[in-house]
Amino acid sequence: MRNSLHVKLCQILIMLMTVGVVLGFQNLSIAGNQLVIQPNQIEIGTFFSGQSLLIQAEIPSSAQAIVEIVGQSSEEQLMKKGRRGGLWMNIGEVHVTGVPSLYIVASTESKLLEDPSADVSWGYHAIMKKIGVSGQVNENEKEKLIQDFIKLKEHYGVYKILPGQLKNSKSTNGHKKIVGTLPIPASIKPGTYEVCLTVIQQSDKQENTKQCQNMKVVMVGLPAILATLAYEHGALYGVIAVIIAILTGFAMGYIFKKGGGGH
Amino acid sequence: MSVSLYLPLAGNSINIFLLFGLGGIVGFLSGLFGVGGGFLMTPLLIMAGVPPTVAAASDSNQIVAASTSGTYAHWRLGNVDFKMGICLLVGGIIGGTLGVYLIKILRSMGNADFVIKITYVVMLAIIGGYMFVESLQSMRRQSTVKASRKPSEEPTKVSLYTKFVQSLPYQMKFEKSGITASPLLPIILGTLVGILSAIMGVGGGFIMVPVMVYMLRMPMHVVVGTSLFQILFTCINVTIMQAITNHTVDMVLAFILLLGSTIGAQFGVKISSRLKADQLKILLASIVLLVMIQMLASLIITPNLIITYKGGH
Repeated sequence: MRNSLHVKLCQILIMLMTVGVVLGFQNLSIAGNQLVIQPNQIEIGTFFSGQSLLIQAEIPSSAQAIVEIVGQSSEEQLMKKGRRGGLWMNIGEVHVTGVPSLYIVASTESKLLEDPSADVSWGYHAIMKKIGVSGQVNENEKEKLIQDFIKLKEHYGVYKILPGQLKNSKSTNGHKKIVGTLPIPASIKPGTYEVCLTVIQQSDKQENTKQCQNMKVVMVGLPAILATLAYEHGALYGVIAVIIAILTGFAMGYIFKKGGGGH
Repeated sequence: MSVSLYLPLAGNSINIFLLFGLGGIVGFLSGLFGVGGGFLMTPLLIMAGVPPTVAAASDSNQIVAASTSGTYAHWRLGNVDFKMGICLLVGGIIGGTLGVYLIKILRSMGNADFVIKITYVVMLAIIGGYMFVESLQSMRRQSTVKASRKPSEEPTKVSLYTKFVQSLPYQMKFEKSGITASPLLPIILGTLVGILSAIMGVGGGFIMVPVMVYMLRMPMHVVVGTSLFQILFTCINVTIMQAITNHTVDMVLAFILLLGSTIGAQFGVKISSRLKADQLKILLASIVLLVMIQMLASLIITPNLIITYKGGH
């Protein structure tokens, strides 16, 4: 009796361990595949004109997803425009803090990004809550200023909202694959960016989960050489720029014999 | 392969054919009329999305090539007054250096873009307006066969001005130009043009040529060669100063532009001999005035956004 109980307990324990190990492996496997970005390093070369970032992830069939690309937060110095003597000009300095240098967000379901005032941890509303404004700005101007700041970022292509950009595939084994391409603008600056996947559970009992990966943006080749030269050896860069211009001018003058146009 | 080229100092990419085309068109107009280039190039670059300070500084670099080519050609023809050119150059270097620091101060105050734009509006309005009226009058004169020439009051004005010029100290002979004047005069004028060059990113020739003709009373064939010689060195100074102080010279941008402009200028020179000068002058004046109106509108019309980046984005 005791032996049989012992055996049964052992069997249950082994079963539990097996299930645990299997589930553990399954979770690891999902975790490993949850967010895949391609490429995970973007290189700004001579012909760089922006790039598409491929996003792939595996999420539960019933869930929805949000993918964000977020640049490092920094302080930005801006100028407030105003009218003086009938002409629009800069009239005061404004400091904005907690601003990601880049913010691109995409969703599986359009409605997740379509309500700008929704109290969620993604989208412009969430960004706006983190932004601090100081300088020559009145309290009643701040909201309009922050809204214009977002529009300014959108104008330069570094802030984008892409509702429904992530496509779902058929679900298998309780999971589905999401795929999407996010446009990386040509004006992106070198640095480290976070690509984050938020899995939104449909039932209230389960919490949303967030997983992030780093994406590097580096300048390579000629742009890297020129930027380093320009910022670290300004005088040498200026002299080289002049020498190239003079040699080209002479070459063109020689080729066409008559020389360039007047100024 | 993409047709866009990344501009490392401008921090963005731009279509290579657009840049080459802009350079070609402005160079073509330059060759066609013998004036301008830079004063059109910088606003066109700003319209194409290049930050104003990068556009102005890179354009100075581009003008180094165009004026090298032009000076070389005029030097072979014996049309360069080096003595006068050096006096203008001294002024140009002083003015260019002052202009670069002025831009730096204005950038820190956030007014660099505004000053560049307003300087453009004023200069383009004067030059475009003058050219338009002058060529219109010239066409009317032709249509009414022989217009009577006004003896006008100009000689009185010139003689008063001449008296002032003669009263300046250190009078010296400029053999090539065939004039006697104080070197202080070209130095002062060179300084003023140098300041404008740095602010606007232009060679200053479109201001310098009328100054040399009407204020220094130099013969036209020497004016163009000497102006180009002075512009060459002024723009070398401005390019190096901008590279050191503001890091706004985009070598890639300048190189594509200068390839386009030097080639375009050659075609402009060839076409200019086949077309009626007054009609072309009116066309150029219209382009200049259109650019001016666009810039003026940006200062008058309420902007969509009440904020902008500091330092001229």
